[in-house]
Amino acid sequence: MDNEVYAFALKNTLNEIRNVCPDITHTFIFTEDGEILAADENTHEKTIIQVIDTFDGILEKAEKIGGVEGITLEGSKGRVNVSCIKDIYFATVTSRKADINYVNTVTQVLIPTVLKLLEKIYPTPLKNTPPPPKIEPEKTEKPPIEPEPLLSELPVNQLIVENLGGLLVPSDTVRIDNEILSQWEKLYEDRKIEEVEIETFNGKKTRCKVKPIKDSKYEGKGVIQMPEKVQLALEIKKGELVRAKPVIQ
Amino acid sequence: MVKKKKSFPETAAITEPIAVEETTSEKDVRANLEEIKTYDGVIGYILRNSTSAAIDLKDPTKIIDYAILSSSALEASEKLCELFDLGEAKNINVEGKDIKVLSLVIGENRISVFTEKNADCEKILRKLHSL
Repeated sequence: MDNEVYAFALKNTLNEIRNVCPDITHTFIFTEDGEILAADENTHEKTIIQVIDTFDGILEKAEKIGGVEGITLEGSKGRVNVSCIKDIYFATVTSRKADINYVNTVTQVLIPTVLKLLEKIYPTPLKNTPPPPKIEPEKTEKPPIEPEPLLSELPVNQLIVENLGGLLVPSDTVRIDNEILSQWEKLYEDRKIEEVEIETFNGKKTRCKVKPIKDSKYEGKGVIQMPEKVQLALEIKKGELVRAKPVIQ
Repeated sequence: MVKKKKSFPETAAITEPIAVEETTSEKDVRANLEEIKTYDGVIGYILRNSTSAAIDLKDPTKIIDYAILSSSALEASEKLCELFDLGEAKNINVEGKDIKVLSLVIGENRISVFTEKNADCEKILRKLHSL
């Protein structure tokens, strides 16, 4: 039994689920790699791709919470439920009036049962698995390469953006806690840190000159004071989080 | 689908909410979050709006990952509501094997509460909506 037959069996199951629960508006199954395994006839592939793309950010960071077991989104007119069964994600979209207990009973029993059944009948993996890696013969041992000193691993600090303004404020200089600057300088054998690389969560980066914070009310608060020009360049504003690391010349 | 992950050695991070100008509703939300933090199984929270951010997590090494997860969840909730015509996003709950993340928007405040699996999310939602 190949993947096509699996998909056919699953698609029929999804259509039947929709027949049993008319309040389910969409239902589909996809893998962690973004492969669509099956969808009911009401759900367009393009829609599923958008959903997978939307979940990408969550799934990518979910290992920090032990991997995703389920996602529930509640909207004013309906809800989306995604449950994970052995690296396979099963999504249902329901209207507001849907009886969630009934929907869950049907979906959480039926889908795992069908998946188990398919696996038992023909134990072919649902996912397109890559071929096993070739085992290479052992090479003659070379002397171990000494790792680079820690200097290549730059420390990164997460800081909250705070405005920096005034007549005499240079537009290319940010201000960071003196304590952080001292820590960086200690790490780099007392080399003076004059520049810093700032990165936003959207991936925008810039380099700026750096000086210690003068205003005592911002000391020890994990703040980076930033002129408006730099904020505009990074497309961020006060209150947002950025990563900062020293630039070692 | 899973993109390559950047590995940044993360060091010092913010563990204390910073004091900035606050709106009344932000003050109320923060007060409620401080109370929620005392509930069983609650690990911490992230509160963000256009003027400030407050992060209070027991494990500061996870701040950056949790902040990204929180914003991804809220972004996903808005996109999915639009995609499936689900109206306004009320809340999104991401359940991990170890931890749950409950995210929602109240006014202009974007909130994520991180809890252990056994925590009562309904109680947290009731408290946050009691404003």
